[in-house]
Amino acid sequence: MALLLVAAFAGLGLRLVDLQVVRHDDLSREAAGRRESTIIHPSRRGDILDARGNVLVSSLFVKTVCADPSLLGTNQTVVARALAPQLKMNEAELAEKLRVHAWKDQRGKERVDRYVILKRKVSLEDWEKIRAAMKSLSFGVDEKKLSRRDRAFYLNLRQRAIYTEPVDDQLRIYPAGTLAAHVLGFTAATDKLVEGHAVTELVGKDGIEAAFNSALNGVTGWRQTEKDVGSQELVLFREEDIASRPGLNVALTLDASVQDMVESELAKGMERNAPVSISGIVVRPRTGAILAMATLPNYDPNQIGSKTPIANLRNRVITDTFEPGSTFKAVVVSAALNEQAVSLNEILYCENGVFSFGGYTLHDAGHHFGNLSVEDIVAKSSNIGAAKVGIKLGEVRLHKYVRDFGFGDPTGITLPGEARGTVHPVRSWYKVSIAQISMGQGLTVTPLQMAMAVSAIANYGRLMRPMLVDHLEDEHKQEVFKYQPQAVRQVISEETVKLMVQAMKRVVLPGGTAPQAALEHYTVAGKTGTGQKPPYGSRKYFSSFIGFFPADSPEICIAVFLDEPDPKRYYGGETAGPIFKAIAERVAAYLAIRPDIQAPSDQPLQKPSSNPPEVIAQTGLPSTLTTSRTGRNF
Amino acid sequence: MARNRKSQSAAVRFGPALKALLICLFIGGSGVGYVWQQNQLLELGRQKAEKEKRLNLLRVQNSQLGRHLAELQSPKSLETRLKELNLGLSMAQPTQIVRLVDAPLTPAAKRILSMHPAERQYAERRTAASPAP
Repeated sequence: MALLLVAAFAGLGLRLVDLQVVRHDDLSREAAGRRESTIIHPSRRGDILDARGNVLVSSLFVKTVCADPSLLGTNQTVVARALAPQLKMNEAELAEKLRVHAWKDQRGKERVDRYVILKRKVSLEDWEKIRAAMKSLSFGVDEKKLSRRDRAFYLNLRQRAIYTEPVDDQLRIYPAGTLAAHVLGFTAATDKLVEGHAVTELVGKDGIEAAFNSALNGVTGWRQTEKDVGSQELVLFREEDIASRPGLNVALTLDASVQDMVESELAKGMERNAPVSISGIVVRPRTGAILAMATLPNYDPNQIGSKTPIANLRNRVITDTFEPGSTFKAVVVSAALNEQAVSLNEILYCENGVFSFGGYTLHDAGHHFGNLSVEDIVAKSSNIGAAKVGIKLGEVRLHKYVRDFGFGDPTGITLPGEARGTVHPVRSWYKVSIAQISMGQGLTVTPLQMAMAVSAIANYGRLMRPMLVDHLEDEHKQEVFKYQPQAVRQVISEETVKLMVQAMKRVVLPGGTAPQAALEHYTVAGKTGTGQKPPYGSRKYFSSFIGFFPADSPEICIAVFLDEPDPKRYYGGETAGPIFKAIAERVAAYLAIRPDIQAPSDQPLQKPSSNPPEVIAQTGLPSTLTTSRTGRNF
Repeated sequence: MARNRKSQSAAVRFGPALKALLICLFIGGSGVGYVWQQNQLLELGRQKAEKEKRLNLLRVQNSQLGRHLAELQSPKSLETRLKELNLGLSMAQPTQIVRLVDAPLTPAAKRILSMHPAERQYAERRTAASPAP
């Protein structure tokens, strides 16, 4: 008896030593693995808002629904029938996914797949429906009469056969669809490791999504805790609980309503003129704030995929460069006036439309001008006149002003992929280059560079950095960082601007190149452009119109560009001009810009008083920014 | 001594018994209290977890509603709705916008505006109470 007892205790002792000493590490690791759990708190990617706080991009947490087919037995069809409507899947396809797939591992042991992804990006509402459907699933048997084991099987099937990934994914939502798609950009999902767990994270691939990726992405949090046998968390045993930090919201200067106006007018222009692409920009010259930036054809960031043509993804306003054509004459004449190389009334002989220079023959498009004043050269867009203005200015000074207006450098807009254009150094110029550049050939620019250069003229000669982001804010709408308008440099003097505006006003008057761009209630200063696309003579053009209004106290600068419009009607004045007008009329009404022309049909609304401070009535319309350093409205 | 022992053994020794009982009760009570406390902690933990789950759910629902609101506020959606309702709304023309012009402040108004709010209230009351000339 004593021997037996000794043997029994010795056996127990051995077992204890085996469990507590020999296998201690393995067993404690296994126990910890079953007990301990790390819960990942995904951080919500920040929203992108327009200037008025409207949500342009948002994020939604979604589930990835998975199945463990080994728990289904032979009930695939029943489960598929119940879940197919919620998962919006074909019943047969779902049943096939739920079938047990067996395979042999490296040791030749038979295994079954216990992890099958049924559907990704399932909304929380749909997941609740799925759970309810699984809970109320009937298999046509009286379960009360079944054995305990069979009852446990059905319980397991209902509770555990269909489950979700432990970490929720995020779905990026663009509520306005294609609106401002090129500015907003899009995202792609990538995996990263957090506390040893793979977490799917959204990464911006283009537009603001890419440029502000780190601000938009928050910081993922986690919780080290323990769970009970039913996989319920034991809050008592929480060790680390690091909350996630949501991403910041990016508030743009872009106004969704202005953007919509621009896009709808561009779409009409696209229909009328059948160009390869059409682009438009609306800028506040004083601050460089971009109210709208659009390019058609565009894409829907909600449905980005292999079906979207690559060309549609390009934000042509910043990525494409072109020879600007006559819009560039505004730059050349401004420079010449600023340097007093010419005066506005100076008469230049335009050679009756044919001018030989540097071994080349230059022509005026469709006209044979004789003597023209510099003002007329701008208004009628004489190539030969502009070439002569450029020659009078000289190569070095022309090159300096071209660079000072921002050409050859990125504008610094907060979007990825901006092209800098091409401005060759003076030493690389041919003799004819000075004449070519003066009429907008021999250099390439982006539409945005061109718009900002004309905006500089509208802003009393000061070039501004384009501003697309107004501020960053946290999830409680508290401002975290405010972006301020940035002046790049004073390019031309205010006196020169006055002369230039005087000349540019004539462009939209009868006898100018774009009377179609004139507005009823506002004086417009602008410039048309019709650049030939190389190879010259291929009847491919780049037509544009850039203008600002009210001309003497500009509030808005609008640029419209058409790439390869219908060759039957391709002049900037007749293609881009009417689009400018349509956009300007709508934007002016929306922004409540004070008219500077009293149209004959207008009735006086009130008796004007002597220089009183002005407010705009609370009509639900936005007020204009009031008072600049010159005392004018912007 | 013997008499004393005898007399002592005959006496009922309540003190030590009570002490023992109290110690037992204390130990037992502590044990029960500990278990009760642990149960309470677990229960409160469970409730906390449930509330956290509910909070998360509400947050998700909030963001879903936010998304829905954003969709409804998008220019395209507003345009479609306007067409559906056929309200005949259109953008105001520049000449239809009424601009109000502030009249220059009178010296009296300037003085009142520069006052402390309480003082201003008193001054306004006095102005209202005084008979019209």
